[in-house]
Amino acid sequence: MSERLDIDSYADAVAELSGALASRDEQAFRAALATFDNVRDGAVLTGVRKVTVELQSALQRFELDSRLIGLAQQQVPDARRRLAHVMKLTSEAAHQTLDLAEQCTPLAENIAGDAAKILESPASRAATDPDVVSFLQRVVEGMGLLRSRLTEVRLAQGFQDLTGQIVGSVLGLVDELERALGELARITDAAGGMAAKEQTISRGLGPSVPGVGKTEALAGQQDVDALLQALGM
Amino acid sequence: MSAQQNLNFLVVDDFSTMRRIIKNLLNDLGYANVTEADDGATALPLLKAGQFDFLITDWNMPGMPGLELLKQVRADERLAKMPVLMLTAEAKREQIVEAAQAGVNGYVIKPFTSATLKEKIDKILSAQAAA
Repeated sequence: MSERLDIDSYADAVAELSGALASRDEQAFRAALATFDNVRDGAVLTGVRKVTVELQSALQRFELDSRLIGLAQQQVPDARRRLAHVMKLTSEAAHQTLDLAEQCTPLAENIAGDAAKILESPASRAATDPDVVSFLQRVVEGMGLLRSRLTEVRLAQGFQDLTGQIVGSVLGLVDELERALGELARITDAAGGMAAKEQTISRGLGPSVPGVGKTEALAGQQDVDALLQALGM
Repeated sequence: MSAQQNLNFLVVDDFSTMRRIIKNLLNDLGYANVTEADDGATALPLLKAGQFDFLITDWNMPGMPGLELLKQVRADERLAKMPVLMLTAEAKREQIVEAAQAGVNGYVIKPFTSATLKEKIDKILSAQAAA
């Protein structure tokens, strides 16, 4: 719908024009015509300014709505999945370390046990050689120390529990945030047709997290090598 | 093997790494019979059904937290005297006081050392033997 014309604002200019026309005063007519143009230009400028302000406001609202939708639909759920993935990775790493430490402990115990047996065996020729005896004693001591350090390594994996609890509490917060943002997005009813802004690859995406991002990451170095090979590299 | 080393332990923690660490340490200390549960709600039926001699529990767990498990244990006639060691990252004074009031026998803060765990278990068992 077109803007309503403010006829009154033209009254003086039209009266001047009419007067100048009636009196056949060319100079006065030109002056009145200029006044008329000014009035008309002023009305147009006011209209343009109003449209500009409305457009700017609409753009800002669109940016805000788009940001909100992006947070609710993509970034916050991504953050939740990333945190869950961190918990999974740290748990796997801790279990792997425990596996390795558990495998090493009996090795150390067996070596120490075998060395002790030789030292304690009076019939063993090795037990009469001072260098060998000294070595075997160091083996027993060293393996004892190694075993104790392996116990400490296993205990240190308790970090996964502590960091996991902290990450877990942040996850709870992110869950709440996700729900609140989803509700806010629903209320503003801005979801229709709006797509969240994609994270740009040029900035880097960080370590791959399953389920985060539109494209799946490669599973391992073999996949990377195969892809590079397929690309002719 | 001493009688104490035949004790049946129940280790309750929602983190599998921590359960494994505690179980390993108990094995190192000579306690071979260790069962695991991932929260109080899972642990309580096991305690009521099984022949456990010692409970080691975390505090902050989904489902039933360790403090509630402790209270349930103390409220159960058959389990009331069971030694309970709380092994947790919850380190606020009022929490420790609350656990003590609920009848905990020992309280170890994470991260912990093998020596601390051994010391607390030994202390609890000695006190129990003297009682």
